Amino acid sequence: MAFIGNFALLLAFALSVYCFGAGVLALLSPDEPNSQRLSETARRAGIVVFGAVFLAAVALVVSAFRDDFTIAYIFHHSNRDLPTPYKFATLWSGQEGSILFWCLLLSAYAFVLRLRYKTDPRLFAYASVVVAGVQIFFLALVNFAANPFGLLEGPLRPDGSGLNPLLQYPEMVIHPPMLYMGYVGFTVPFAFALGALIMKYPGEKWIHITRRWTMVTWGFLTCGIFLGSHWAYSVLGWGGYWGWDPVENASLMPWLVGTAFLHSVMMQEKRGMLKVWNMWLVFACFWLAILGTFLTRSGIISSVHAFAQSSIGSWFAWFLGITFAVFVFFFVLNHKHLRSDNKLEGMISRESSFLFNNLLFLLLTLDVLWGTWFPKISELVQGNKVTVGAPFYNRVAIPVALILLLLTALGPLLAWRKTSLESLKRNFTWPFTVALIIALFVMLTPTSWGSIFGLKPWHDVSYFYSLMTIFLSALVAFTVGSEFYRGGRVIAEKTGQGMFASMVQLTHRNTRRYGGYIVHFGVVLVMIGFSGSALNQDKEAELGYGDHMQIGSYDLVCRSYTQDDNANQETEWALMDVYQNGQLVRTMTPQRIFYKASQQASTKPDIDQGFKEDLYLVYEGQNDKGQPVIKAHLNPMVIWIWIGAWVMIIGTGLALVENAPVPVTVRVPRMMEHAAPVAGD
Amino acid sequence: MILGIVCAVLITAASLFYIFYLPGELYLGPEKTRASYLRERKDVVYENLRDLNFEYRAGKVPDTDYQSLKANLQDEAAGLLAEIAQLESGAIPAPRKARS
Repeated sequence: MAFIGNFALLLAFALSVYCFGAGVLALLSPDEPNSQRLSETARRAGIVVFGAVFLAAVALVVSAFRDDFTIAYIFHHSNRDLPTPYKFATLWSGQEGSILFWCLLLSAYAFVLRLRYKTDPRLFAYASVVVAGVQIFFLALVNFAANPFGLLEGPLRPDGSGLNPLLQYPEMVIHPPMLYMGYVGFTVPFAFALGALIMKYPGEKWIHITRRWTMVTWGFLTCGIFLGSHWAYSVLGWGGYWGWDPVENASLMPWLVGTAFLHSVMMQEKRGMLKVWNMWLVFACFWLAILGTFLTRSGIISSVHAFAQSSIGSWFAWFLGITFAVFVFFFVLNHKHLRSDNKLEGMISRESSFLFNNLLFLLLTLDVLWGTWFPKISELVQGNKVTVGAPFYNRVAIPVALILLLLTALGPLLAWRKTSLESLKRNFTWPFTVALIIALFVMLTPTSWGSIFGLKPWHDVSYFYSLMTIFLSALVAFTVGSEFYRGGRVIAEKTGQGMFASMVQLTHRNTRRYGGYIVHFGVVLVMIGFSGSALNQDKEAELGYGDHMQIGSYDLVCRSYTQDDNANQETEWALMDVYQNGQLVRTMTPQRIFYKASQQASTKPDIDQGFKEDLYLVYEGQNDKGQPVIKAHLNPMVIWIWIGAWVMIIGTGLALVENAPVPVTVRVPRMMEHAAPVAGD
Repeated sequence: MILGIVCAVLITAASLFYIFYLPGELYLGPEKTRASYLRERKDVVYENLRDLNFEYRAGKVPDTDYQSLKANLQDEAAGLLAEIAQLESGAIPAPRKARS
């Protein structure tokens, strides 16, 4: 298998080099008689690259299933008793395998791109060459710097070291692929953007193509980030879902810039504005995705999620430098092609709301970038590493997120070009009033109704933020709801259909807009989930048989504690009875697992999830008497984060659906007699 | 090992055959021209008009705003149509086909 794997990787590398070289030659001499043939061979070579990388990936997975410990990577990341799903996860659980997995996903994206070349053959030829350039880098890495098929030195071992215990969790089988599909996918919009810049592509069609790819990529990254958060919450046992860890930040930065791009791209499509800005945003998405990979793999910044320190960091540093230089070169060369067709006409308009939205996303990205790199920067400047924590990020992130929520509420109410204050007042009054009533209700209701009620903003700034989040979330929910209602009513009046059917038809007529609104609604739910963190509680106790501990309205009683043993792991756990108002409501079993092959321990918290709050128990270890040390967390509203994430993903999927045709005529210019009928309202 | 070498040779041969054997015509697509760019732009302006009409009927845009925005968009569409008409008085390039 090692031979087949190595052969497939070398073949893929050679074909990528051909795809790039032949593609560049064909584009440089378009009038040569054979240039189209050369371009076609380049495209086909790119298609075969996918087959070759797929073969290499299959070879590695088969080696994991065959327990082929002659391959060093399999020895270090698998063992004989590893459950079947985790044998698949071996592919991305280590440095070398995950780079091969990156190559596989990039080749798969490139494969689809090269198959769909008929959309615009010349633009796709440019994009294919750019993607081939990126493929050369990753395939060089996997062939010459981080080869997953390297053989183990010394005598053959009877069993492997096993998979990292933290990765032995069901979500870990899907979280990395989702995150990687997000990271890798940004290569495609970047390739189209750079291609369009190099060829001075006339018009905005390239951005229409790019937007769809960006939405797919953004959807995967969203999915990956939330799966990662859920994994951290369910496995790491610290009671939280986001720790502002450098590797978490690495995934957040391209997501933030990608979100900004998905908004600003509408200005380019509709008004021919922000062309330079969008070009840089697409580049920043790609560059930050590579930077994130560099952070995870170089060992330059320590993180619980990072791979061990390795020499491939310098490869990434060079690649980041080269891509930046190439992009800047072509930007300087062709920037005049990116002149805006229109200017901002009014400060109260859809355009200005997108502009502010973009500036805020950029501010947030810079905050995260600065905080992530601060330990390294402080080490270079002062000689000692200073790490920044959640308060540093929250100081900027929370106010910015609140203003973004306000813009999310305002945006749909603003017209393109300009909006009068009268129009704003007319559309904004009742959602604002209802949201205010809800916020006052939450503030004035007694705390006995639940931990989220009775928030007094003057007691603590975090309560103020939570209350503002609830107010603004309600505002967004009502403005989004009013958009569906108003649109549905127009269709209902015209067709005589019921309101729900009209709203479905409305969504189908403009999936991008209404899918986007559903994403906004998902964001609202996520924000409500975040707002609960201001009210988190935790307690720790050493518990013998029958001992109690109290947290919130829960009384926890240690019924027993014991241990278990099987071929893969040893488990210690406590049996905790949970009482509420004197009634037994649940029995929970927080665990601590010791994995034999890797000789590593991991906690497995037990979480009682509810719509109001989560009861989260962690088995911290044993005290001197052999009794369990239990840490209990009470985390309000967390479930809304996961529900919101699902809504966001459903909205993204909906936004990707083609619009239904709308057969209506609009009379357009006064001065043109032959104005054609167009799809209208 | 021998089986591996045989597989490698076969895979390489099949790949080279697929890459370099190009029978028939190659699809090159239509040439991107100023006129095709203007037609794309015209479609966008029409779509903007459609959105504006819909928002007006939904009660989101007051009458004064609607009239002014509609006039702006109609002027933009008129300009585009005029330029397209001017360009179409010449020949519009047909989709290109090249023989391999």
